Amino acid sequence: MASTNGETDQVLVEERSCGRIFILNRPKQLNALSAVMVSRLLELFLSCAEDSSVKFIIVKGKGRAFCAGGDVAAVVYDINRGNWKSGAEYFRKEFTLNYVIATYIKPQVSILNGIVMGGGAGVSVHGRFRIATEKSLFAMPETALGLFPDIGASYFLSRLPGFFGEYVGLTGARLDGAEMLACGLATHFVQSESLPLLEEALVKAATSDPMVISSVIEGFSNAPNLKKNSAYHRLDVINKCFSRRTVEDIIQALERVSADKKDDWISSTIQSLKKASPMSLKISLRSIREGRLQGIGKCLVREFRMVCHVMLGEVSKDFVEGCRAILVDKDRNPKWAPSKLESISDKMVDRYFSKVDDADWEDLKLPVNFRLPAYAIAKL
Amino acid sequence: MENANFRTQILTRHLQNHAVDSSSGAAVSRAPCLSYAPPEASASFDVSSMRKLMDGHNLGERDWLFNLMAQSKLFNPRLRGGKVFVAPDYNQSMEQQREMTMKRIQYLLDRGVFEGWMTGTGSEAEMRKLALLEVITIFDHSLAIKIGVHFFLWGGAIQFFGTKRHHDKWLRATETYLMKGCFAMTELGHGSNVRGIETITTYDPRTEEFIINTPCESAQKYWIGGAANHATHTVVFSQLNIEGKNEGVHAFITQIRDADGNICPNIRIADCGHKIGLNGVDNGRIWFDNVRIPRENILNSVADVSSDGKYLSAIKDADQRFGAFMAPLTSGRVTIAVSAVYMAKMSLAIAIRYSLTRRAFSITPNGAEVLLLDYPSHQRRLLPLLAKTYAMSFAGNYLKLLYVRRTPQLIKTLHVVSSGLKAALTWHNMRTLQECREACGGQGLKTENRIGQLKAEYDVQSTFEGDNNVLMQQVSKALLAEYVATKRKNKPFKELGLEHMNKPSPTIPSQLSSSIVHSSQFQNDIFCLRERDLLNRFAAEVSKYQAQGESKESAFNASYQLAEDLGRAFTDLAILQTFVEAENSASDASLKNVLSLVRSMYVLVTLDEDPAFLRYGYLTTENAAVVRKEVANLCSEIRPHALALVDSFGIPDAFLSPIAFDWVAANAWSASQD
Repeated sequence: MASTNGETDQVLVEERSCGRIFILNRPKQLNALSAVMVSRLLELFLSCAEDSSVKFIIVKGKGRAFCAGGDVAAVVYDINRGNWKSGAEYFRKEFTLNYVIATYIKPQVSILNGIVMGGGAGVSVHGRFRIATEKSLFAMPETALGLFPDIGASYFLSRLPGFFGEYVGLTGARLDGAEMLACGLATHFVQSESLPLLEEALVKAATSDPMVISSVIEGFSNAPNLKKNSAYHRLDVINKCFSRRTVEDIIQALERVSADKKDDWISSTIQSLKKASPMSLKISLRSIREGRLQGIGKCLVREFRMVCHVMLGEVSKDFVEGCRAILVDKDRNPKWAPSKLESISDKMVDRYFSKVDDADWEDLKLPVNFRLPAYAIAKL
Repeated sequence: MENANFRTQILTRHLQNHAVDSSSGAAVSRAPCLSYAPPEASASFDVSSMRKLMDGHNLGERDWLFNLMAQSKLFNPRLRGGKVFVAPDYNQSMEQQREMTMKRIQYLLDRGVFEGWMTGTGSEAEMRKLALLEVITIFDHSLAIKIGVHFFLWGGAIQFFGTKRHHDKWLRATETYLMKGCFAMTELGHGSNVRGIETITTYDPRTEEFIINTPCESAQKYWIGGAANHATHTVVFSQLNIEGKNEGVHAFITQIRDADGNICPNIRIADCGHKIGLNGVDNGRIWFDNVRIPRENILNSVADVSSDGKYLSAIKDADQRFGAFMAPLTSGRVTIAVSAVYMAKMSLAIAIRYSLTRRAFSITPNGAEVLLLDYPSHQRRLLPLLAKTYAMSFAGNYLKLLYVRRTPQLIKTLHVVSSGLKAALTWHNMRTLQECREACGGQGLKTENRIGQLKAEYDVQSTFEGDNNVLMQQVSKALLAEYVATKRKNKPFKELGLEHMNKPSPTIPSQLSSSIVHSSQFQNDIFCLRERDLLNRFAAEVSKYQAQGESKESAFNASYQLAEDLGRAFTDLAILQTFVEAENSASDASLKNVLSLVRSMYVLVTLDEDPAFLRYGYLTTENAAVVRKEVANLCSEIRPHALALVDSFGIPDAFLSPIAFDWVAANAWSASQD
């Protein structure tokens, strides 16, 4: 029983006894999160938190994607018309949604049966249960767009094993369902054919007890094998290289390994770092490193400052350029400026982490909730 | 009585709740009677700007190293209440702790943490090294000491006492741990008095070798960090006898183990055994049985011996030679002082966070129990220590800069300031640790909550690199020497911060008020007055004893009471001045506002606690009462900032402890089953 009225169609809501199923419904755009969707989701999450008849929430996507990210094309359109502030409002709302999800009192089950990128991770990974399938495809591709892993990614990437988070966040590497489960981005792996039955079982269980929900999902789970050439098998090299202090040191460490022995995986890793925006790499690495030492709230506040500076483009306009090259003109040949890591000073990087110098601008203010479950308190 | 009834009611309610929960089985852990509420976060200032001011330098490097430790299994991560904490496992045996320490060093080495520690040049490289060592000490004192011995003592001796031939051979090798160094100075019979050590070295011109010998049991080298298990080389401090003449203490490089860890011939090594703390460091004892080493192993920056056995030195006076020789070793006092402040920060961050979430007793019937930090008495226990820790943190930053920018003209100042601050900051740390331990109640006794264990781990700081009492006496001695020399020459004071004595004595208003005691003018005046008056009194007392025929030394010893008061006066003033400088450098008004509260607290609690102000009449009893009242006022003014002030310490959650966060979840039944 989907609700239908005007633009709210972009998020369909199914009421199934004690559960609510939110369906991201912009399949042509791979369910990229529009401003309308962000607002609607925020509204839905907040009202379901208050509604005692709701025990749990399922989030999934229509079509072959779960969600391919935020609607950055719209943001860049605004920036190009001199209106970065409407972009700021978009991110303010999106990050608030990420926070609400991360500290949500009721269990959320996200069914990641397809593409999960950027903003899509933001509405799922922060929740309690993330189900990967054989169709899952995860990536944080922001450094190739002149952006950085936002939506609270500095919190969850930095908490992946070792320095895998730096690898995923800087290179934009694609992970399949098995890899998502192995590194902890997903909590379960279920074959896509079992999903309808799983949904039914969850509805039938009608509980908000995470232990029960977990055991229901486990009933449908299986242990997938990592593919032979999975990056997760290379965790030792990743730890050795991506733990380095700076982006330059990371690339140098990778080159040293590759000089010892020819290795396609390392070459393509170096390639993706060299193709990414140098400024994006610098601020992304620092963001992940700070994020590892901070709670989810501080991570989002920092990322909000960063994304505002990215949109303002005072130090670099790589975001606009990246979107032009990848999304608009599709020439896949962005002209980054600054074009080299070496020409980026610490001072330039510092700028992204400072408050925005604008009378109307405010730091991200997060909602205060006094009824947090212990597992959410631990993220603060 | 009414209170007792009320308590009974509450207890009954607890028990009833418990009974209800039990009936639903596993729900016990999920519905505690008390639920944890995170501390309210309402910072009136930007915490990250404050952190920048406090840590001062190399924030990116610091965070990187925190990251490296937090992400490795070697640093013993443990899940408590949904959060990961890293801390050494102090329940391991001494042998296991020592091996873990070496493994952690190897890990940090592999990740490039020590790059440039020996081969880097300039103040930037030195500051980076100091910042990283501070982060290491936040994880574990043993790890920091083990690294400190290798780089700062062994490495520092090579750098400062050695010349090019030693640098070429050892600096790179030290940085990459091709060898492991230790530093054999202290003996069983001599610690602070290095000049009295009994190890003897002679020279054999036929073979061009030095012969090092331990002539008696009291000459055995003692407490030598790294010697018991791991070190392959040491710098030995020894008397040098050339052609029958004692030329004083010199330093020599000696190999004590081969690359496989076998002890070299004519060397005997024994273990110092289990200690009250710092068991990750393998302290050992060494005997030298006429060990022969090549002539070039003498560290010859100050003095040398020619191949035919002639003693050569540009400095004729043995005392001066010794002074020039030892001067560079202040790095130890600098790192100790600064790390003491970080431990005070750590314990305060834990105790204050706990006091903002733990409640005890209600003050109204049926009212909620009161947060510990809302009790004025609890504020009085913790917040003055917080203010002192801020002040000493700025002093530590100043000391580091003084050290890395040292010039020959500044050596005396550096010696005096580092001596005073090392003593003051390490004493402050031990006092803070004890108070925080007690402020956490029973939870303070759990090793996983860190504070209690830190007392054992850091107790040594008041002893090594100079006993605190001895160091403080050196401060007074240096001030007296400066005083006597300046008076004799009839010239103005221009060193050791005594310039204020050139001006007329400051007057303290006869009736203090709240606004006066908050003014930095008054605060500076009363600290200057105390130092100046105590120095005059001290000089007078020493000369009185001398006039009675006592030697300078025994006159000084007899005046120890004034010497102690004066040493404290000097360091308190130095600390205040660094605070004022830091406050002036803060860019933002909200930072300045809270810092001025903290500064006032630092000064006023010092006035309240040091009896010298009443004893010598710098404060009247009425004024002392005004000060005391103002301390209580400041406690309630600082209370709303307490969380932000400890958050500004920049110590990541993972390096604090479970009681600093959700201690209910950390202690839940389900957590005990993992």
